[in-house]
Amino acid sequence: MAKLGRRNFVKLAGAAAVAAPLIRPAQAQAKKLVFGGSVPLSGRAAETGLNVHHGYQTAIKFFNDKGGVEIAGEKYMLELRMFDDASDPARATTLIQRQIDEGVDFYLGSFGSNIVLPTAAITERAKKPMVQAGGGSDQIFNQGFRYVFGLFPRATKQFISSVEFFKSIAPRPKTFAVIMTNDAFSKTQGEGAINDCKAGGFELTDSFQLPEQITDVSSVMASLRAKTPDMVICTTHDQNSLLITRQMIASNTNVPLLYQTLGPQLQTYRETLGKYAGAICVQIYWDDRAAYKDKFFGSAGQFAAYYRQHNTRPLAYHTAGGATCITLYVHAMEAAKSTKPDAVRDALAVLDVDTLYGRVKFTAQGDGDAILLGPAIGQVQKGQVELVFPASAKTAGLIYPSPKWTEKT
Amino acid sequence: MQLVLQTLVDGLVLGGLYSLAAIGFSLIFGVMNVVNLSHGVIVLIGAYLSYFFWQTLGVDPLLSIPPVMAVLFCLGYVYQRGLIQLAVDRSSLVASMLVTFGVALMLRNLLVLIFSPDFKSITPSWAFTFFVIGPVTVDLVRISALCASLVLLSLLALALHRTGIGRVIRATAQQDLAARLCGVDVRHVYGLTFGMSAAFAGASGAILGIVMPFSPPDEVHWTINAFVVVTLGGVGSPSGALLGGLLLGVISTATSQAIGPAFPNVMMFLILVVMLLVRPAGLLGNAFSGSR
Repeated sequence: MAKLGRRNFVKLAGAAAVAAPLIRPAQAQAKKLVFGGSVPLSGRAAETGLNVHHGYQTAIKFFNDKGGVEIAGEKYMLELRMFDDASDPARATTLIQRQIDEGVDFYLGSFGSNIVLPTAAITERAKKPMVQAGGGSDQIFNQGFRYVFGLFPRATKQFISSVEFFKSIAPRPKTFAVIMTNDAFSKTQGEGAINDCKAGGFELTDSFQLPEQITDVSSVMASLRAKTPDMVICTTHDQNSLLITRQMIASNTNVPLLYQTLGPQLQTYRETLGKYAGAICVQIYWDDRAAYKDKFFGSAGQFAAYYRQHNTRPLAYHTAGGATCITLYVHAMEAAKSTKPDAVRDALAVLDVDTLYGRVKFTAQGDGDAILLGPAIGQVQKGQVELVFPASAKTAGLIYPSPKWTEKT
Repeated sequence: MQLVLQTLVDGLVLGGLYSLAAIGFSLIFGVMNVVNLSHGVIVLIGAYLSYFFWQTLGVDPLLSIPPVMAVLFCLGYVYQRGLIQLAVDRSSLVASMLVTFGVALMLRNLLVLIFSPDFKSITPSWAFTFFVIGPVTVDLVRISALCASLVLLSLLALALHRTGIGRVIRATAQQDLAARLCGVDVRHVYGLTFGMSAAFAGASGAILGIVMPFSPPDEVHWTINAFVVVTLGGVGSPSGALLGGLLLGVISTATSQAIGPAFPNVMMFLILVVMLLVRPAGLLGNAFSGSR
């Protein structure tokens, strides 16, 4: 190793003195756009919360690796300032209020309507925009909030495409039962499912409203075995969905169609159940095989490739949703030619763009357009989720009626 | 009739799990008068250890119960002697509640760090096996959970009533001063009791992991459940925990069937309040310090 003598030291010091003024302006050039919020990195919603967070991180990294974004001729680097709300709405509201007090202008959503709802009320009061891909409860969108935008259609509208799917099944199912839990999302979606399915001509045999955290559904299974509807619709969260399916298998409760809005989209769920996961249907809001074009990433497929290159966590549609929240902000800022919260909010409200998540447009109440952003229907086949509805997005034919648990291979 | 029978069987099976999960809590409360708010997280550590053995070594979850119990016995002993005893010595029994609450928070986050917050599930090859007896369908997982619970609770009852260390534990629970006067090393007995409690909590965790998916935040649920079971059945005895657990299981499934699946928790806490008012020592309560 060369010895750092007096001459070399003087040379280095001189070079540093000359370079310093050049470095400083370079640092000062890029301003910062801070995206605040909270997300469940622990607690009951952590599994999907982590997926959403990975989406946020991936998009931020992507933009910063490209040198930031340019808004109205000025260069900005993006900064993500998310905190773990531990799936606790009370903690989330404290975290959001603190960030409002610190002057953060733009917010990303947590996961779970029970958290998004109270945090959105805070950002609304402060007139700061929030774009989220984690809350679909109607209560978020029917309170006249102007600054809250959700990628998902509100819960009661999320079943429109599902009913069309049920109608398309041959032979057409006649009866259905609904299992929901007593939380803002599951209950609203369950009630929406009942109304929409009844309007679609299906007959309700039973509806079960369970506590938010389920440990046993044996009595539900006994009732299902007694009446055996053609379809069992679960509007439950991931862990609860898995528990229900496990108990269905273990108590030999067979139905021609098991449909869960959340759960089977997760690899953990499918790995746990193995062959038994086959033929279970799930709402799918995004698939990397879809031909969506994106101004920044190129396409849904290219986003997926970029994500997999930089992450080891399996890609889920919530991840793509999280990343899209960031790209929507950039779209809105570019359109508004401003980084002022009010201008960005106005631009978001009229945004109609193609993204890696598909074409995004918000309703006047801020939720995602039910036609453009409504779910497709997936079915687990050979351990993977294949799209079975609508016909335009199909990657496989529907397996119906589902084989009995004992006959699954 | 078929539905009633099925509900009863489901309730008993669920109750077996509740009993085993609560016995450790009952023992610590009965002997040391300590309300262990980290009980639920110890149950979950048992579940995660069993998951670890199953994932990495392919050990069947039921066979992993002895090593899980051994590990948790040691951890429980050290936890009591190194932390809880210190808190009780320096302050009061209330301090032990704060300490166990703090430890529960820390351990819960440690589990998140080690195993990720994603839910886990132990599914051995026989996890989805079921059999039909007459009009009743019973799944093998739950019936094995009930059998394992009964065996373990019987072993604990035997240990407490037929062995020397059991006699010493009971003596300490009844009157620690008298036990000291008789030359019993009460601190060591407290450590052993805590170790045994942690071991049984761990065993219930291993069984719980086969029955349902689990994740770190579930610990609160298992602490509350244990509290209700102990209040119902009585403090400090395996028979009390067994009775309390089975009753709670049957009440839970019967409420779910008769009133609605949203109401088991309502009924559970209603019974808790009634029991605290009418019979605070529980159905099989005894004169151990926790129930005095």
